[in-house]
Amino acid sequence: MANELDELRARVREWVRANSPPAPPFAVPQNALTVQSDEQLEWLRTWQARAYDAGFVGAEWPAEYGGRDLARGSQRAIDAEFARAGAPFLVNNVALAWAGPMILRYGTQPQRLRFLAKLLRADEIWCQGFSEPGSGSDLASLRTRAVREGDSYAIDGAKVWTSLGRFADYMILLARSDANAVKHAGISYFLSPMRIPGVEVRPLIKFTGEGGFNQVTFTNARIPADALLGREGQGWELATATLSFERGASEGSAGGSSMGGVSFGELVQMLRSAPPALRSDAVVRDRLAALAIEATALRYAGARQSLPGLIADRPQAIPLMGKLTGSEHAQRYTDFGLELLGSGATLWKDPNTANSGDWAHSYFNSYAGTIAGGTSEILRNVLGEKVLGLAKSR
Amino acid sequence: MTVQLGYDEDHALLREQARRWLAGRVTSAELRRLASDARGDEPAWWKLLSELGWAGLVAPEKCGGTGLGAVALAVLCEETGRALLPSPLLATLLASKLIELAASDAQRERWLPRIASGEALATIAHVEASGAWEADATSAQLDAGRVSGAKAHVWAAPTAQLFVVPVREQAGSDASRALRIAVVESNAPSVTALAEATLDASRRQGRVHFERAACDVLAGDGDAAWRAWRPWAQTALAAEMAGGADAALVMTAAYAQTRVQFDRPIGSFQAIKHPLVNVLVAIEQLRTLVYTAASALDAGSSEAPLLARMAKAAASEAYPFACSRAVQFHGGYGFTEDCDAHLYLRRALASRPAFGDAREQRAAIASALLEGGAELP
Repeated sequence: MANELDELRARVREWVRANSPPAPPFAVPQNALTVQSDEQLEWLRTWQARAYDAGFVGAEWPAEYGGRDLARGSQRAIDAEFARAGAPFLVNNVALAWAGPMILRYGTQPQRLRFLAKLLRADEIWCQGFSEPGSGSDLASLRTRAVREGDSYAIDGAKVWTSLGRFADYMILLARSDANAVKHAGISYFLSPMRIPGVEVRPLIKFTGEGGFNQVTFTNARIPADALLGREGQGWELATATLSFERGASEGSAGGSSMGGVSFGELVQMLRSAPPALRSDAVVRDRLAALAIEATALRYAGARQSLPGLIADRPQAIPLMGKLTGSEHAQRYTDFGLELLGSGATLWKDPNTANSGDWAHSYFNSYAGTIAGGTSEILRNVLGEKVLGLAKSR
Repeated sequence: MTVQLGYDEDHALLREQARRWLAGRVTSAELRRLASDARGDEPAWWKLLSELGWAGLVAPEKCGGTGLGAVALAVLCEETGRALLPSPLLATLLASKLIELAASDAQRERWLPRIASGEALATIAHVEASGAWEADATSAQLDAGRVSGAKAHVWAAPTAQLFVVPVREQAGSDASRALRIAVVESNAPSVTALAEATLDASRRQGRVHFERAACDVLAGDGDAAWRAWRPWAQTALAAEMAGGADAALVMTAAYAQTRVQFDRPIGSFQAIKHPLVNVLVAIEQLRTLVYTAASALDAGSSEAPLLARMAKAAASEAYPFACSRAVQFHGGYGFTEDCDAHLYLRRALASRPAFGDAREQRAAIASALLEGGAELP
């Protein structure tokens, strides 16, 4: 098994080396949050299709649905090699990491056959319609309505922070299908088409200056009745399961990596070549080492999780901690990197210096990690309640 | 190089055995009884745990030991730490390891069976009165086969029968002034051991004075043995601290579930819940580092020293942090002698400097990364 994985890793390394595309004449986005133009999308879509055709997307999924039936652990190994090689990210991120695994687990056979192979190859792009202008951390307060009328549902409402919304063919959509049911019970989960009348996508600008984020408005948009995933009223249960995939707390991703941006290794590299006065500063060294300890603990968390005896006390702790600890670590070290740049950090894409604003950009983007898919504050509630058994916060 | 984590059925059984053995014995009442006991540990427990093979856990089987590795040591330490077991066990295990690493075969045969059987309590006498603890800072001198010098904060002194001491060969007696590891019997004439008054009553320690004391100078190179031994000590103590930190967290979470104020369990308040989750995160990261370091030691990996430092650094922060929140979140009760929180806090603070505190570990880690060419393990 370990040997098979080693062989797989070697095969991936070789393929990525031989097939990594030359840099295009435009900036290559580092994550799904940052895709703004059609040419970026098409370039990334082509890359994902090639990676899929080579067998490196959906590696553990059943062949029946376009997967490769490889052993558990294969996808993680592939993703790690892609990340290590600095390969472009897989653009259909929402589909691969959470929408797809949801369809695989909860979809009907026709739904699986209809959607899965196409999303693996990025032939169809997916986005996520959970948050609303009035419903963020209190997601179950959402107000988008789905009214059953004959063979379709009429959707009315608004969704926000929709990455890839402009390009998406489908959305995983939460909407209230029963206005009379109590909060959580009235919600249903849809695999909703985006390219239909009544769906309007308006871009939002993030504080990095980039687009890529959208607000999506539904005005009497008609979606087919068989777009329902699971049962009517099962939406909250399915939303929770989706968030578990999104936070990396459930296994089953078809591939892809997280935020991209500058790595912790680059921080070490920057300090190795820093002026002696900075490199020899005891405070700087102390903080670097503290971050290195955290990086190492995060790196080995997955290996520990795979040994049941080492997590017997709290089997859920590491999966539920993953997004919280990873995103806060990234925020800390990118902030530290920015601080180490000193007055150089006052520049942002200044044409006369080598500083392209990478550290600021990564630090800014780190807030996507600590907010999206459940804020760090919500995740601390989840950990306190599910792992420590504390009473629910109101 | 990626370290492969190891944990098998035997480790799980050892943990189960330790948990069961400790839970029935090491009660709050017993901890308080032993806190005011002159010796500070229970001889009957020592006999029993020796019979379980714990005193010889890491000694080779041919020397009467159980022959287990660093992961097993971490398991046992995590559980004894969770129970706050007052015992010379960790001191003995670490002394046994240092002898094994420095001794010739004949010397191992001489000392290890006595230790493994529980007949001889052993300990490391390595800390200077100044607090310097690395072997190369030792002021203990070796002259014509006799040790002279003083050591402070020696665990299990004056109870221990064997002191394992880093000593410097005196100028003139040897051209190299090499570092050696010596074993001194406490009943040798001119060995004086006195108890210190300690912050943590659950781990006793003392001052030891050697005045031309007879000793067995171990054959191996002292520097090499010390460097090989240090990560064992740091990892084992970090494991013990992880267990104690976890016990403090568990007791505080349980209290936050039952203590009601403003008509709600206080654990429902995020002012309590979120800091406790921060404690949880610190402890789980610590445990990951402990078992990664221990696995690296068992695999003979060159990453072990760096990982052990990381584990000890994490432990030196997580344990005091867990205890600080334990005291605080127990409110007025947390400030009383009756509440166990201070027992953990005392152990946490007393363990923090041993084998290097967090600041010291981080300085070494930074040097490894920035000047030593080390990559993240």
